[in-house]
Amino acid sequence: MPRRVASHPILGKMEEKQEIEFEFEGQRLKALKGDTIASALIDNGIDIFGFTDSGKPRGFFCAIGKCSSCLVIVNGVPNIRACITLVENGMKVERQKGKGNPVW
Amino acid sequence: MVKKVQALVIGAGPAGLCGAIAIAESGVDVLVVDEGIKPGGQLPKQTHKFFGHEGFFASTRGFEIGEILYQKAIDLGVKFQMKTTVSGIYEDGIVVYERDNEKAYDINADFLLIATGASERFISFKKNFLPGVYGAGAVQTLMNQYRVLPGQDFLIVGAGNIGLIVAYQLLQAGANVKAIVEASDKVGGYLVHANKVKRMGVPILLKHTIVEAIGEEKVRGAVISEVDERFKPIKGTEKELVVDTICLAVGLQPSVELAAQAGAKIEYIPELGGYVPFRDENMKTSVDNVYIAGDLASIEEASTAMIEGYIAGYNIAQKITGKDLSEKINKMKKELEEFRKGPFSTKVRNGLKKFGVNFPEGGFRTEKQENTGPTGKLRVKIECPQNIPCNPCETSCPTGAISVGGNINGIPHVDYEKCIGCGVCVMKCPGLAIFLIQEQEKYSIIGIPYEFELPEINEKVLLQNKNGEIVGEGEVEKVVRNNRGKTHIVFLKIPKGLENEVRHFSKISLEDEEIVCRCEEVTRSKIEEAIDNGFTDFEELRRYLRISMGPCGGRVCRLQTLSIISMKTGIPISELEPGRFRPPTIPIPFKAIIKGDEENEI
Amino acid sequence: MKYKVCIIGGGVIGTAIAYFLGKMGETSVAIFEKRYLSSGATGRCGGGIRQQWSTEANVKLAMRSVEFFKKFKEEVGMDIEYKQGGYLLLSYSEEEAEQFEKNVKMQREQGLEVEILSPKMVKERYPYINTDGVVLATFCPTDGHANPHKTTFGYAKAAESKGINIYTHTEVNGIDIENGKIKGIQTSRGYFECDVLVNAAGAWSKEIGKMAGIDFPTESYRHQIFVTEPLKYFFPFMAISFSGNFYIRQALHGQFIMGQGDKDEKPGINENVTFKFEKEMAKKMVKIFPFLNNLRILRHWSGEYNMSPDAQPILGKSSEIENFYYAIGFSGHGFMLAPAVGEAIAEMIVFGKTLHSDISYLDKERFKKGIIQEKNVV
Repeated sequence: MPRRVASHPILGKMEEKQEIEFEFEGQRLKALKGDTIASALIDNGIDIFGFTDSGKPRGFFCAIGKCSSCLVIVNGVPNIRACITLVENGMKVERQKGKGNPVW
Repeated sequence: MVKKVQALVIGAGPAGLCGAIAIAESGVDVLVVDEGIKPGGQLPKQTHKFFGHEGFFASTRGFEIGEILYQKAIDLGVKFQMKTTVSGIYEDGIVVYERDNEKAYDINADFLLIATGASERFISFKKNFLPGVYGAGAVQTLMNQYRVLPGQDFLIVGAGNIGLIVAYQLLQAGANVKAIVEASDKVGGYLVHANKVKRMGVPILLKHTIVEAIGEEKVRGAVISEVDERFKPIKGTEKELVVDTICLAVGLQPSVELAAQAGAKIEYIPELGGYVPFRDENMKTSVDNVYIAGDLASIEEASTAMIEGYIAGYNIAQKITGKDLSEKINKMKKELEEFRKGPFSTKVRNGLKKFGVNFPEGGFRTEKQENTGPTGKLRVKIECPQNIPCNPCETSCPTGAISVGGNINGIPHVDYEKCIGCGVCVMKCPGLAIFLIQEQEKYSIIGIPYEFELPEINEKVLLQNKNGEIVGEGEVEKVVRNNRGKTHIVFLKIPKGLENEVRHFSKISLEDEEIVCRCEEVTRSKIEEAIDNGFTDFEELRRYLRISMGPCGGRVCRLQTLSIISMKTGIPISELEPGRFRPPTIPIPFKAIIKGDEENEI
Repeated sequence: MKYKVCIIGGGVIGTAIAYFLGKMGETSVAIFEKRYLSSGATGRCGGGIRQQWSTEANVKLAMRSVEFFKKFKEEVGMDIEYKQGGYLLLSYSEEEAEQFEKNVKMQREQGLEVEILSPKMVKERYPYINTDGVVLATFCPTDGHANPHKTTFGYAKAAESKGINIYTHTEVNGIDIENGKIKGIQTSRGYFECDVLVNAAGAWSKEIGKMAGIDFPTESYRHQIFVTEPLKYFFPFMAISFSGNFYIRQALHGQFIMGQGDKDEKPGINENVTFKFEKEMAKKMVKIFPFLNNLRILRHWSGEYNMSPDAQPILGKSSEIENFYYAIGFSGHGFMLAPAVGEAIAEMIVFGKTLHSDISYLDKERFKKGIIQEKNVV
């Protein structure tokens, strides 16, 4: 199971961070301020971020905003890179299934 | 809005930071832009102690080096813009995209130091698209920067330095590393790194590979298998490992997009990591005001990246200020020379030689024959660098072309005027250390001594280097059987320029589910089918199959696709057009451009 | 080597001519392309297929072409992602609106189905378009778009299956003329004899003309274009405006392709791109198409419009050299006209005259009589 690295022999104890709440697929989840959507999802044990057009599950891959494997829908807007977008209080995150819908 | 700076440094890794420091030491105004959240490039993810000498932070941990360099730069007045991507170098300017502010605009710079580093390579195996298959850098980012472990039980693919370091870092973070699999028969990284994880009970399975990820929606396990001497999985040796994460550490490739857009000449130099910008000994590219440093210039390590950063930086400062900085430059060049003398720098030295940049090797006794003979002639290449008592090569040669220099312990030398390329010594050599080489018009031929089940003529094979790493794809040209001695010679057609790389080969497994282009879900078999239908240009394939038209811009699939083209057509990779590196390098939103431009008008 | 017909240019025009020659039984044909297939303007264009033109000549050629696009998949054997989703022409000026009304009258006389829409009607039909400033719109439901690469590949593969040869990465360096007739061409792959030579070199058509000592009145101008990340397919038509200076469409794959013209471009070959273009496009397009605001630009490139003095193609047979044919100067519209043009040029070569389309008024000599400008150009 994924989990926080609360203490670390080299990096020490994790600094205290404000807890925030966001929504994923209608479910309320907790995250720490400074988390990306990806790290928050992983911390909650979620590693399927969406599905491709052909229905294959997708998670993150490069974690630095390069490969576009981790696209999710945030507050209705598709194509958001979960690995470089910070999670915010009240944010609504959904799995993207293939291509996103237009928003205007 | 248009910003103006004297020097712009792209990338705040060790190379970029040291470059910025060197420039700022002369009082020149420097801006560093980087897409990351923290400066330091890969350094903030590194919790291990670095090698080198203390002048360049040996024994200091990576994340601390990042902080020290950043502080030094700040003290010198260097300006930083993090979470900012250079989205393209256009005819009319350098465009940066501030992610947080959703804003894109031009920067005007007199001098450019590009230190964009490298990206990770990807490999094909069954179900490699499942969540739970992650790049090694990604695991480090999550684990050491966000302090989240993306799994509990890991399999690591690749026993190079990165794979070994990630394994150690995972253990430090409290995860289990079930195994490191390594297809070749020895550890590629420093042995000290390997020993660190070995003594903690992590098996390094040499001659093992991953053949499949298990799971429907996410990774639940992995199938690994032993490979034979030809790196082919041995049937019946498959083992299932219960892991939830598969971490790929199969090497790096330079991120050349921006350098290419800046007009720098790009060349394919496998020893330096693939496509790299040409640069001279001062780190200047083919464009007068564009310099490079670090992994972009050659896949190496942090110490040399830092020194290259200094060399580039001092050169830029010298040009801007008109001051003579040759003393500082020469001091850094000397440092670099010392670092690159050892055996682990061999590839880089060889690669740089192709640019006319020479680094001496030394400190250990060597009397190797430098002359590799007249290009184009079928001739032998003896790779017997140690002083062992052995001379069948000398005594078997029908023309007297090989001599070990009198004493039997000597290193053999070839008289290329006498060598007729008959291959008798190749079959005789007990060490299987003699190869046949011939550069031809479109490809090269390599004759490899071979003692296993023989391949078919015209069979396509994966080419492997001295460490068992795949360096491309080739084709069996002919097989010379030696029924008495049982050492046969397999002649392969290989891409030009790989004559000193390719020393082995393996069969290609044809598997529909092998994804080459992740964004557009293009499989290897689709690419091969298209090539068979006559689409033999990268740009044609791109247009036909949408390879590299997805959001990643071809970072993941370009080299793999070129390798498949080279193998199918026999055209060397170095002669293939790598295709255009189109901007933007990262997708940028309309609203960011509008915002950046509105501020300009105010 | 000798071929009856040598074609210079492996774009959509060159491959279409080769395809139709093959179909008419002429298979001693070779195409010479200095880079790869569709590497010039074809592979860089927006892929629109429009019949709403301001001159009768263009309307006729376009309508003939659409008849072919409809059966392309069956006849040529490649799925080119053809979609008859229509073209929505938006006018932002009174003067242009008047011109549109005249155009529609002429277009309807040619048998083309075209609607005239008020801004209110546009808004009702397409709520995702901001119609501020629109004076009038026209819509032709049988206009559409297709994938230019696949179209070129389709023609090329079908031609090759008939025995026609395609030499890519082969540059033509000289044209060999004897007694006022072309005897052959000198290429980077050696000398080739021919009975007929066709200039379909697009952006390089003027240079090819010079090799034969003929001055073609074409100039190449850079046009930039970019593509966004994909969205679910919902935007079936091409929206275009001459007064607003833009075009935009969604490919079946989901991505939006768009561009504009730039009056400040200087003639010449330039395949670089500018950030200025992205800035201008972003501001203009988000205002009209607000759903673009959150979308990202994925790739940006440029190609050449091979412009003629009246923005209409230059087609026919040289009056100076009898065995020299040309299909050039398409002014940004070669992709959509390629079927009718390919057929007509092939007919001229095989039968000595065109059988389906009258292209006589598009020959090079027309400029001596004065210029009737095509106005529907971005």
